[in-house]
Amino acid sequence: MISIAIPTGTLLEGSLDLLRRAGVADLAPEEIGRKLLVERDGIRVVLVKPADVPAYVDHGSADVGIAGKDQLWESSGSHYELLDLLFGECRLIVAVPDASPLGGPGTWPPSLRVGTKYGLATEQYLGRLGQRAEIVHLHGSVELAPLVGLVDAIVDLTQTGRTLRENRLRIVDEVGCSTARLIANQASLKTRTGAVQALVTRIREALG
Amino acid sequence: MRDTQEAVLAEMRRWGYRYVVTPTLERLDVLALGLDADVRRRLFKLMDADGSVLALVGERTVPVARLVAGSLRAAPLPMRLCYAGPVLTNDPGRFTRRREAYQVGAELVGASGPVADAEVIALAVRCLDAAGLRRYQVDVGHSEFFLGLLDGLALPADVKPGVRAALAQRDFVALEALLAATPLRSAEHELLLHFPALRGDAGILEAAGALVRNRRSERALEELARVHELLRAHGLGSSVSLDLGAIRDFDYYTGVIFEGYGPEVGRPLAQGGRYDGLLACFGRPAPATGFMIHLDLMGEVLRRSGVGRELTRLDAAVAWSSVGLSAALGLAGSLRMFGMRAVVDTEARRLAGALEWREALGAAHLLHVGGGRTVSWSPAAAPARIQRLPAEQVVARLAERGG
Repeated sequence: MISIAIPTGTLLEGSLDLLRRAGVADLAPEEIGRKLLVERDGIRVVLVKPADVPAYVDHGSADVGIAGKDQLWESSGSHYELLDLLFGECRLIVAVPDASPLGGPGTWPPSLRVGTKYGLATEQYLGRLGQRAEIVHLHGSVELAPLVGLVDAIVDLTQTGRTLRENRLRIVDEVGCSTARLIANQASLKTRTGAVQALVTRIREALG
Repeated sequence: MRDTQEAVLAEMRRWGYRYVVTPTLERLDVLALGLDADVRRRLFKLMDADGSVLALVGERTVPVARLVAGSLRAAPLPMRLCYAGPVLTNDPGRFTRRREAYQVGAELVGASGPVADAEVIALAVRCLDAAGLRRYQVDVGHSEFFLGLLDGLALPADVKPGVRAALAQRDFVALEALLAATPLRSAEHELLLHFPALRGDAGILEAAGALVRNRRSERALEELARVHELLRAHGLGSSVSLDLGAIRDFDYYTGVIFEGYGPEVGRPLAQGGRYDGLLACFGRPAPATGFMIHLDLMGEVLRRSGVGRELTRLDAAVAWSSVGLSAALGLAGSLRMFGMRAVVDTEARRLAGALEWREALGAAHLLHVGGGRTVSWSPAAAPARIQRLPAEQVVARLAERGG
């Protein structure tokens, strides 16, 4: 039996749709949402929090998983990243308050205070730029932090940019672009090569 | 875990590997000669009285290499060495916060070529057997195969490090994007894109051989074919597969590499390969290959599959009452001389109490020495049938049964 970890939240619908189109599993969001674990036709689907998908896959509790690239930036696991699933697109951006004199890199003070939920990706981005910074790790409502003077800028995920506009923030740089990815456990890829590769092929074909 | 470690070390000794003890604490600048930045960062460090930085042992291949180049410098090569013990790392892994892990490993230093490679792989497989693992799989690959592919790619020089990094991070989405940006398509391109799927039996070598167009990869395939042949001569067939898509530290490994996987475990149980560059870092250039087994992971697998070794069973519980103590001590001594495991009670007990004590100890036989000339013997098979026999006869009967 092959097990697949799929994420709750914004990627759930796209994940189920893809599994249906690939002929892997036909599940309604309500069904998996209620049971969290469904076994059918030799496939086990488990529903977990988006940030937990890499953990399930890295430990081998799931052979493969669907995770946003934004979650993979933050994990240093040993999984294989096999396919770009082309849905759930969003951007990791740097934003400052509309009223701020700051613009893109180059206009920043010698040490920038940045608020984010994406510590690792932010650290790497600032490191590439050679920008000294103090990273403030936040867990939610990141948009609020620059408005009350906690930080100069934020690094956050945005899909449409609406939340940013509503909070009078403007984008000054892009850190990266995220979509849903198919990841696989390293041991599953070696010990159940046939089954995992067959699954990957079906999903690749469904992507067109 | 101790039993598993002993079983593995015993197998290594049967292959002529000498047990060595390496330092737990070592100067960081010395270790740094052989460790890359990432491993160095994860070491636990402390400071000596004179201000030099020391590190706790974080892996055991470098200390062995240092030993070979240092205090064993006069010993002739090749050298077969094995080791066991904890390694301590400040693991930055998000999900595994284990700081102390147990490893047992072996290194064959001073021998190059497929014969040495095959010996170490065969030893690794036999060690998995010795540990009691019933189902496992060993994948053998070659680090030079990938490096040859990289050479063979028609890529601008500034893109190659990116390709290498993407592969090291097992990020095939990034790899595909990088390769798609180059106009020239080659067989090397295709092989890289199908990297994780490049595993199977000897047939995979021919299939890959038909596609590669660079000498480096071809040589790797030839070496793998030879190692595969030798592994069959070692009596290993079904448990060994070939994996051209093995992804390991390509800066460290210089040849044949391998990994062992067990059932239902998401990480390799054993890892090894050829590292011909390391010994030179310590001033005694020599080819080398070796492997280590993650004992904690192995323990988990064994427990889960029910192979977990029982606690060492006691053969005899020797109880005594009143004046029987001296005779009890003598009796236990005789039993031990015959290789049996015997415990002598620390306090006097009557026979009834002694029967309960034996239960608590989990010993097979109970021998109770009272004041008389005979010993009361409650055998393992029929505990209720208590016989009275002279001590020498009890020893003889137990020795006959093999404990």
